[in-house]
Amino acid sequence: MRREDGAHQGERRFALMLTAPGMLALLLTTTFPLAYLVWSSFQTINLAMPFMDGFAGVQNYVEMWHDSRYWHAMGLTGIYTFSSVALQVVIGMGLALLVMQIPAGQWIFRIVAILPIVLAPVVVGLFWRTLMLAPNFGMVDFLVQWLGFEQINWLGAPTPALISVIAIHTWQWTPFAFLVFLASLASLPGDVYEAARIDRANALQRFWHITLPLLRPAIIIVIIMRVMISLSAFAAIFAATGGGPGTASEILNLYAFKTSFVELNFGYGSALAVSLLIITMAVSGVLFYLRTPRRREAGA
Amino acid sequence: MSSYRRAATRRNIVLMIVASTLLLIWVFPLLWAVIVSLKSESEVLAYPPSVFFEPTGKNYADALFGDFSILSSLWTSTIVATATTVLTIVLAVPAAYAFARLRLPAKKTMGFYTLATQMVPPVGLVIPYFLILNKVGMLDSYEGMIIVYLTFSLPFAIWLMVSYMEDIPFEMEEAAFLDKASRLQTLWHIIIPQVRGGIAVTVIFVFLNAWNEFLFAVQLGGNNVRPVTVAMYNFVSVEQTLWAKLSAAALIAMLPVVVIGIIAQKQIVKGLTVGAVKGGGRR
Repeated sequence: MRREDGAHQGERRFALMLTAPGMLALLLTTTFPLAYLVWSSFQTINLAMPFMDGFAGVQNYVEMWHDSRYWHAMGLTGIYTFSSVALQVVIGMGLALLVMQIPAGQWIFRIVAILPIVLAPVVVGLFWRTLMLAPNFGMVDFLVQWLGFEQINWLGAPTPALISVIAIHTWQWTPFAFLVFLASLASLPGDVYEAARIDRANALQRFWHITLPLLRPAIIIVIIMRVMISLSAFAAIFAATGGGPGTASEILNLYAFKTSFVELNFGYGSALAVSLLIITMAVSGVLFYLRTPRRREAGA
Repeated sequence: MSSYRRAATRRNIVLMIVASTLLLIWVFPLLWAVIVSLKSESEVLAYPPSVFFEPTGKNYADALFGDFSILSSLWTSTIVATATTVLTIVLAVPAAYAFARLRLPAKKTMGFYTLATQMVPPVGLVIPYFLILNKVGMLDSYEGMIIVYLTFSLPFAIWLMVSYMEDIPFEMEEAAFLDKASRLQTLWHIIIPQVRGGIAVTVIFVFLNAWNEFLFAVQLGGNNVRPVTVAMYNFVSVEQTLWAKLSAAALIAMLPVVVIGIIAQKQIVKGLTVGAVKGGGRR
């Protein structure tokens, strides 16, 4: 017994030795800068007017509360995140169910689906801005006019710009949902379906009562991962619209970025980033909380 | 029976048509980029877009060796992504082993902490990093960029490796009564070879993410450290309509990740789904 305690202690010490470098690196590279961010959110730091710098108390946060551009950005973040994640899950699921039915050639879909995922979001944003959506040049623009509709200034008018950035994000990341769902569908037991077929359940019933509950863990994981990525989306929007026209596609990320690096108002930019940080943490906390009991119920 | 079969065939044809249409939506932007990159600058601006034309390799030559050469940016991206990957693996693999297999004080807290750092939105880091690196004179330096890249690669790599470590059968290491040296040997000679596949997947993911990163690169880099993603962006903001050259440059810049993506397609999907299919492991 004593001897085992000693061995456990040795194991603990060894385990600490292995984790220490990684944990220390995380502490220095993420926690320290975040503490710095919180500190600077209580400061006036304006690189354009450095003589004004100094402690500002909660002034940045008060300003934020009365800032209509902030609330606008917050609303857009919500719309952007919710609609792009919903679209990814629904289209990804539909596509996965469809491809499962195809007798041959599934591998083509897998290969094609990997392409958008591995592309840099900034390149995706640039491709869409130029090759697809540019007026009198892009293929989407051409298609819309060829079909006899009126020309739409996809990135130059407020509502189309928001729709465009959501569509671009959905285009790039739906394959992720699709691939995860396809893998999950492929791992489902076939005998349940046999039983259901004998019970004369139709396709919709089978999907609703068998497939969907079995896929729930995968769906929840996909939602969590996609919400996180959506909340930190930056490069594709930055490349496609830069948040514009005006502030029409300016989600919170872009507002915090522009306040800091364009207006050089780092104090206020920090406060905006802190609010985004809190929202992200809160949302992920809720999502993980929702996931935990369900998983036990599913017996995983 | 034959009418049943005919209905099934008809159903398959409809399925194939619907699926192919959707396939086209995902392939088209890339395919079109390839076509545009082979056009001359005057041909590009033809509207409606021309489909038949004399292909030229000039855009590729320009993108590599001409006035807008992206060669130095490619080299920068290679250095940054490789260094980030190596450093991440060295730090993540031992930590993941301890998380997954060993008795470790405050394991839950550290695991949760690692997960939490993964959730941090990058814009919340780029602001303080700009101020800090500016203060210590490390803006536009390789060291600074690689340190910053650890922020997103390390938490992710630890969690991905943990899920692979958990799959090793427990009989592999009966390490309870070993001293420190032989514990290290166990890790090196027995555990690491077992998770070679997992390490490969992690390397792929970390490298891809580092190669594709833009937000940190555009703000913390500069003339000295300018990864390809930033070079692409500058291309459009400076040269508004040289879209054939942009397409060629972007396709060259994305060639490494696309090749890796296609070769390692199975491993990437496995990496993406490792959490989803298992329901997130044992925690």
